Amino acid sequence: MKDRAQRLTRDQVGSIVKMLGLTTDREFNCTECLQHVSEFAECQLANQPVGEVIAKVEQHLALCPECREEYEALMKILRAGN
Amino acid sequence: MTESEINWPAALRAAESGEQAEAVRVLRELLQSGLRIALNGRSDVSEAHLEDFAQESLLRVLDRLGQFQGRSKFTTWAQAIALNVAFTELRRKRWQDVSLDALLADGERMAEPAMMADDVLGADEERTRLVAALRNAIEQELTPKQRAAILGELREMPFDQIVEMLGTSRSAGYKMLHDARRALKQRLLEVGITGSDIQKAFN
Repeated sequence: MKDRAQRLTRDQVGSIVKMLGLTTDREFNCTECLQHVSEFAECQLANQPVGEVIAKVEQHLALCPECREEYEALMKILRAGN
Repeated sequence: MTESEINWPAALRAAESGEQAEAVRVLRELLQSGLRIALNGRSDVSEAHLEDFAQESLLRVLDRLGQFQGRSKFTTWAQAIALNVAFTELRRKRWQDVSLDALLADGERMAEPAMMADDVLGADEERTRLVAALRNAIEQELTPKQRAAILGELREMPFDQIVEMLGTSRSAGYKMLHDARRALKQRLLEVGITGSDIQKAFN
C-alpha cells in the first residue's frame, strides 16, 4: 500500500505554494465566480478595467483550475463570435 | 427572430406564449453552438453529448433566470452556465471510479518526506527548509479530510467529486479548503516564512 501512494510532484508542491500565496480571508467561491465570470470575460475581451468585485473573479480563477477551464472555454466562444 | 432582437429574460419568462417557444429554441441552438466551439477536438464529446448538455443547460438557465442581473450580455451569462453544466458532467465521468479510501490514505501520508518526488527538493537548501516547514504545517494543522481535499485538488479531481466523496456539501467543502489554506499560510507566517519567500524558492 505504502509503495503505491502517488508522490507529490514538484509542480504539485509548487501549486500548494501558489495557492497559499493567493489565499486571502475573503474570497469568491465557485458559485460566486460563476455569477460574475460573464462580466469579467466581457471586460477582458474589451480590455476594460475591472471593478473591485470583479477582481475577485480573477483571484478565484488563479486558485481554481475548474473555473479557469470554464472561463477559458467561455473566452474561446466569445472570441469566435467577434 | 435573431439573437440580437430578443429581450431574453422577458422572452423566456413569457410562459405559454409563442415568443417564449421561439426564444427557447434559439437559446438552445445558441448554447449548443457555443459548446461545440468550446469542446471542439475532445474525443470524449459526441454530437449527442452536445445536445444533452445544451438541453440540460437550457433548463438550468431557465431555473436561474431570476439571478441574471444584466451586468453582462444575457447570452454570455447563459454560455457560462452551459459550460459549467458540460464540464461538470465530463469531469464526473472521468473521476467516477476513484476511491475515497485511496485518497484518504494518501492524504494521511501527505506530509511524509517519502511522499515528495525526488525533484521537489533538489540541492537547494532554502527550498529544503521551506518544504520542511510546509510538511510540518500540513501535519500539524490539517485534518485528514482537509488533507484529502487538498490532495484531490492537486490531482485535478473535480470539486463536486471531492465533496461528494467526503460526504459534505459544496459550501462546507469550499470552507474546509479555504480554512486549510489559511491555516497553512498562518503557520508558515508564524515560523517566519512569507508567501513571497516560498514563491521565490519555487520559481
